[in-house]
Amino acid sequence: MSRVRVCNADDLPPGGMKAYDTELGVKVLVVRAGETFHAYQGLCPHQDVCLDEGFFDGSTLTCHQHLWQWDIATGAAVGLAEAPLERYELEQEGGAIYVVQSSALQAAELFRGVSDSTITRLDALARRETHPADSTLYEIGDPADDVYVLESGRVEFTIGRDDRTSMAGFMLRKGEVFGWAALLEDHPRRIAKSRCVEGSSLVRLAGKEVLKVLADDPMSGFLVMKQLSTLITKHLGSSGDK
Amino acid sequence: MTVRINARNRAHAFDASAGESILYAGLRQGLSLPYECASGTCGTCKARLLSGEIENHWPQAPGGKLLKAADEFLMCQCSARGEVSVEVTAFVHETPAGTFVPRPLGAKIAAATMLAPDVLQLDVQLERGLEFDAGQFVLVRVPGIDGWRGWSMVNYARNPQTLRFVVKNKPGGGLSDWLFSAPRAGSTVEVFGPLGSATFHPSLGKDIVCIAGGSGIAGMMSILARAEQDGYFVHHSGDVFFGVRTLRDAFYLDEFTRLRQRCGERLRVTIALSDEAAAPNAAHPLLAFETGLVHEVAQRALNGRLEGVRAYLAGPPPAVDASVRMLLMARVSTANIRYDKFS
Repeated sequence: MSRVRVCNADDLPPGGMKAYDTELGVKVLVVRAGETFHAYQGLCPHQDVCLDEGFFDGSTLTCHQHLWQWDIATGAAVGLAEAPLERYELEQEGGAIYVVQSSALQAAELFRGVSDSTITRLDALARRETHPADSTLYEIGDPADDVYVLESGRVEFTIGRDDRTSMAGFMLRKGEVFGWAALLEDHPRRIAKSRCVEGSSLVRLAGKEVLKVLADDPMSGFLVMKQLSTLITKHLGSSGDK
Repeated sequence: MTVRINARNRAHAFDASAGESILYAGLRQGLSLPYECASGTCGTCKARLLSGEIENHWPQAPGGKLLKAADEFLMCQCSARGEVSVEVTAFVHETPAGTFVPRPLGAKIAAATMLAPDVLQLDVQLERGLEFDAGQFVLVRVPGIDGWRGWSMVNYARNPQTLRFVVKNKPGGGLSDWLFSAPRAGSTVEVFGPLGSATFHPSLGKDIVCIAGGSGIAGMMSILARAEQDGYFVHHSGDVFFGVRTLRDAFYLDEFTRLRQRCGERLRVTIALSDEAAAPNAAHPLLAFETGLVHEVAQRALNGRLEGVRAYLAGPPPAVDASVRMLLMARVSTANIRYDKFS
């Protein structure tokens, strides 16, 4: 995990926010809520609009473009937002503010709200892999053993066989989860082919092991299952009222 | 020609005619493609070209400011030359039953009336009726003048064959110059719609607030017409703020007085004058006249009364942005702040 200096605490007035280009190669938004500081990705996950042009009312951050909103304490999506904000661990030292990039597991919407001890146990199960562009992760009919979390890159899905295939969506944000059939009972086989379109870095967890860890912490398990059902509905269902 | 579109959740394919905007082709075939203005200014319909060739009909479109890579383009301004594959990062679904799928319609200008020194009211006669929701807009194009303009309907009725619009004169604008330079009744125009998500339906069941600057009042008139037809203001309140520079620039005052008489005290209408001091108006004793920018006048009048309201906004982008900020700071939820972005 790399730690970089972003700004000084007194660069921001209470209620203020500003986005900084960092040595991590990404823009980081620092927000001051009273005496508490928060750090998030600097660009809106919707259309890359700079978030410091938006509104902050002390508890909710709003992107001015299409009014996506997030809870400033957690980065969780509120209202119209279709994705959470990536959160950075923030450290203050002698008036300077440093941020530390979070792991894909911590950034995953699927594991939002899960207890620290359970995240630690899940992290111990995680295998980190990198795959070159145009490599296949799994084919239709393969055993659905592992669930994947995207760290970086881009993964595309296709359904159907031979010359009758069709694209079934893609993943491109850090923390997006796929291969979730591994967390369902009675879905032992892949129903889509999964391919890295770009060089991609992934976190891979055995579904059965994840379920065992969650069974030991039912409150976290409930949250994960609730978030999983939201995820499935989003990919299959109708967009509903705006 | 076939357009294949890879969305976040799945792929879709649809036909597009030669020269037809990729966005309009997808929308008329019932896909929920991302858009707001559909006319080149907002950038919401940004997509990436994966294969094939497109023609860009307006490379200088202001919405292009959101394009970051060379293969990105605005679907509203580009047509396909042969088969193309494109990608959008949004989730795209088939539009649910019960929503009005936009379509192209032939039409002609039936009447044009000056409402204020640089504001024209247009009645457009359609070849067939068009169902729409109160608050929606259509795109209009005049043969021989480049580009589609988004105009909100003023009227509301089931399946009307006439649409009424309010058009502000923008000197130097091709269509505006054409409209304001000579009588145009009888001229042929093309219409595409309905579009837009800033819609009102009486099942809403909330108090409503309308904040509009200048010609942005058009969509509010449609919302008020729908509300009046349904007796909405028997049980809910309506606060309308209409911002103009001076009293000379205001219009529809007789119509507001009529609405106020029909709908009763729960409907309140305030005309906000930004460039001159307001005074009570003997001809319109039921309307309030205040001095200030429209969002400031609205903020003063609504102080403490914004809980649980649905707000509709329209007008010049700075007025809409200021109103959004005011409403968010008053903790109105984003789901209850409705407008279509034209910037």
